[in-house]
Amino acid sequence: MQGSCPRHEHVSRRSLLKGTLATASGATVLNWGGLFQSQAIAEAAKRKKKHCILLWLNGGCSQFETFDMKIGRNTGGVFRDISTNLPGARVCELMPSISQRMDKLTVIRSMRTSQIDHPGGIYLMHTGYARAANVRFPEMGAIIAKYCGSPEADLPDFVKISSQGNAGAGFLGPRYQPFSLGRDGNLPPFSTSQLTPEKESRRHRLRDFIEEQFARTHKADPARMHREAYDRARRLQNVRHVFDTDDEWAKYGDKYGNTKFGRRCMIARRLVEEGVSFVEVGQSGYDTHADNFTGHKSLVPTMDRAWSALLDDLEERGLLQDTLVVWMGEIGRTPRINNRSGRDHYVRSWSTALAGCGVKGGLVYGESDKDGIDVKDNPVTEGDFFGTIYKALGVDPEIENYSGVRPVPLAPFGHKVVTDILA
Amino acid sequence: MRVLRPMVVSSCCLLANMVAFTANAEPLRDVIDARIAAGWKSNGVTPAERSTDAEFLRRVSLDVLGIVPTYDEAVAFLDDTDPDKRAKLIDRLLEHPRYAVHQADVWDMVYFGRNPPGYGTDKREGFQNWLAEQFRSNTPYNVWAGKILRAEGNTVEQGAPMFFVQFKRRPEDAIEAVTQKFLGVQLQCARCHDHPFEEWTQLEFYGMAAYYTRLRVVDVGKKNKLTAFAIGEMNRGEVLFTGPVSEQELGKKGTPVKPKFLGGEPFVEPELPEGFEEPRNFPSGKVPPAPKTSRKNALADWVTAADNPYFAKAAANRIWAQFMGKGIVQPVDNLADANPPSHPELLKQLTASLVENEFDLKQFMREILNSKSYQLSSSGPVTDAMPLLYQRARYRPLSAEELLESWMTASGYNDTLKASGKELEGRFRPRGITWDYVRRFFGRPNDGVGNFQGGLHEHLYLNNGQIHQLISKQKGSLYDTVFKSEQPWGKRVERMYLQLLSRRPPPPETEKFVAHLSSDDDPQGRLHEAIWTLMTCSEFRFNH
Repeated sequence: MQGSCPRHEHVSRRSLLKGTLATASGATVLNWGGLFQSQAIAEAAKRKKKHCILLWLNGGCSQFETFDMKIGRNTGGVFRDISTNLPGARVCELMPSISQRMDKLTVIRSMRTSQIDHPGGIYLMHTGYARAANVRFPEMGAIIAKYCGSPEADLPDFVKISSQGNAGAGFLGPRYQPFSLGRDGNLPPFSTSQLTPEKESRRHRLRDFIEEQFARTHKADPARMHREAYDRARRLQNVRHVFDTDDEWAKYGDKYGNTKFGRRCMIARRLVEEGVSFVEVGQSGYDTHADNFTGHKSLVPTMDRAWSALLDDLEERGLLQDTLVVWMGEIGRTPRINNRSGRDHYVRSWSTALAGCGVKGGLVYGESDKDGIDVKDNPVTEGDFFGTIYKALGVDPEIENYSGVRPVPLAPFGHKVVTDILA
Repeated sequence: MRVLRPMVVSSCCLLANMVAFTANAEPLRDVIDARIAAGWKSNGVTPAERSTDAEFLRRVSLDVLGIVPTYDEAVAFLDDTDPDKRAKLIDRLLEHPRYAVHQADVWDMVYFGRNPPGYGTDKREGFQNWLAEQFRSNTPYNVWAGKILRAEGNTVEQGAPMFFVQFKRRPEDAIEAVTQKFLGVQLQCARCHDHPFEEWTQLEFYGMAAYYTRLRVVDVGKKNKLTAFAIGEMNRGEVLFTGPVSEQELGKKGTPVKPKFLGGEPFVEPELPEGFEEPRNFPSGKVPPAPKTSRKNALADWVTAADNPYFAKAAANRIWAQFMGKGIVQPVDNLADANPPSHPELLKQLTASLVENEFDLKQFMREILNSKSYQLSSSGPVTDAMPLLYQRARYRPLSAEELLESWMTASGYNDTLKASGKELEGRFRPRGITWDYVRRFFGRPNDGVGNFQGGLHEHLYLNNGQIHQLISKQKGSLYDTVFKSEQPWGKRVERMYLQLLSRRPPPPETEKFVAHLSSDDDPQGRLHEAIWTLMTCSEFRFNH
């Protein structure tokens, strides 16, 4: 795939040849409305496209049952650790596949964040910002869609598959709202037009006319956004086949572990391959206030297998070097094991991981103290983490967007990019 | 940053000043126009023209009734030559049965949002009907707001207690919601740490949460086939404060915090009688007894007191924004010092007027609706959805409720029911439409601070979804009326425009539609798509 343009742009071109139409203004459009602007496509091809896949562990995965084991300590829990393909690094026995891919990962064991409940944490770890009264911060996915996406693509550039977070595009506006697939990665209801292309085009021309009339005298943004979103809904018809993944799943299901989460991961790879900038994939159930160990025993192996397959698959296709895979939940879990064998919410010291585009791999960064109570060295805040992600993707975290008249940098003011982990 | 605190102490004289300021003064509508015009002048801004009658009719019908005008209403209003017809229309709409229904929809969303936490809050007709009744009887706002906060009775028969049901066992969430929705004060930052730029400390947050820490949601049995809840209040129980979360200590229990009014005095509670005991919890099925001292009611009195510096101001600002788009303080629920008003004098006068008229919301709305400022056109070069200086009318996406009921009116679906003698199976249940989808695709049209956020998803529903079911061939539908009409196409297009957009089409639009519709090739499909076009276009999607 390297060096060639993404497949969906070929599809557009083919559609163009199949049937073009002339609008009232004389411009040529596709039958489903993809605007053919050779200049823009050329520009997009020139820009080296980067992608990001976020694996979201909803509820907050335990650092003690994954990357930050405290063997022999009271806080350590019941699992053993195993060696990895990275000398000196050990991980939980629930992650045998990932243990052999540690050379690709950069694990951060020194996360220190500021929001401890789920809604606050989910917001924080999707946007990099705590919730605020006046500003609606955009999610990482919307930012990456804006700065890494190609505006002319028919596919949405921010896709969520059964995941969390409702900050959406925030002040970046409806253009960057996430496109949400169903739990199995299927298209949402009403994605398929019931009209023949000819009838749809006829209807479209009338609608286009009435919108144009209105836009002559009414310049307000919401009406413009409404027109643009209509256009993107039409263009989705060009690429519906991308979401039909049954054949591929038959082929790769085993590799990804034959689980729903595995399938979502495979779809994420496929979407990235087709040019989508940001895909978020969710796995739920980590909020283990009770029975933390049984909970993690049922969740982590699924995740281990799917995550590993995703990394392999991306690498085999030459996509990993341009795709950053982020692994995180909204919070960590307490060192103390409560009287229900559970672990509660904890943000003073926890873990996340990165792989692929722009990061070193084969690195364990930061450390917690012997019981996992506090960060021992190199603390990484949410701002640092987001700044580092943007930097790894070649996006300057200092770029400012405006919320009303207030400039807001992509990563919060005062963040420090963790340059030690960047490739 | 801390200057707000003494305000409670000084607010009595503050309020007295405000009242004196407006007594015997000009009507509020003229005050509004003078202040808004002064803003244009000092900023060198040229406002839009006055709205056309058609623009005004559609806007005010949606704002007051939550529904577009019918064809008959549009024709009657547009052809009326009475120079006073706008004021008369406003009076009629404020007395219309739908007024209470729609205003209850608006405030229900304020209190619950689209997806409130569970515990039966999805079936809250008791609350919604009670709210509508408050508007129907024009009960003063401070009175009914106080009832929500006192939460007496049960959620089915009385309704009002439902507000607290959504915060079951979460006093911190309850106090965040109460301060934000009733006072325009946002405390959430202070929940996890002292915020460097806001007024409130973490300790003050927990001092407020202490008012609700003893609340319990009690299941008091089935009423009208629904589970009814009551709000009980224990005599003991304190909120615990553990410090900033990122400094969290293992196993630390925290220190109890006593209730204290925000920026005011601590709440003094009489000691419980010696040896006083009570069960750990209220048993289900029984109405919980009142506590010896109710912290909840003390806070209700404090919140809704006429001298609370935030209560009236927050309401005045919120209702202003409901009709004018942007709050004078925007967002409407953040009256912090760091978030100053765009028209401070006007906000003072609106607040004073609301207090002076004993929180009569209908009268307050009537003044706003009659102002020239409200009645400006929405056309013009300004791109902001909600212009800072109100130099033209705002754009507001229709809510899910408004959209569906307006589609049902405009498509003639309601007329097909009349023609066939059938009735709706439920308010949002026309045949062929799944309310849950409408709610899912259109239920959150803005981001909570007024910005439109409808994206690609809503167009999938518009383009490929169920609204086609409303464009039916049933007798009485717009489709049927136009299809069977023997009038010339120009007249029929005019009918479509009047019914769907409440206006008459200018010649280019008439020509285009006549050309589209009069072709022999697939006339039925063409008529269907013409109606669909006018039901889904930007002009329909927004109130402007």
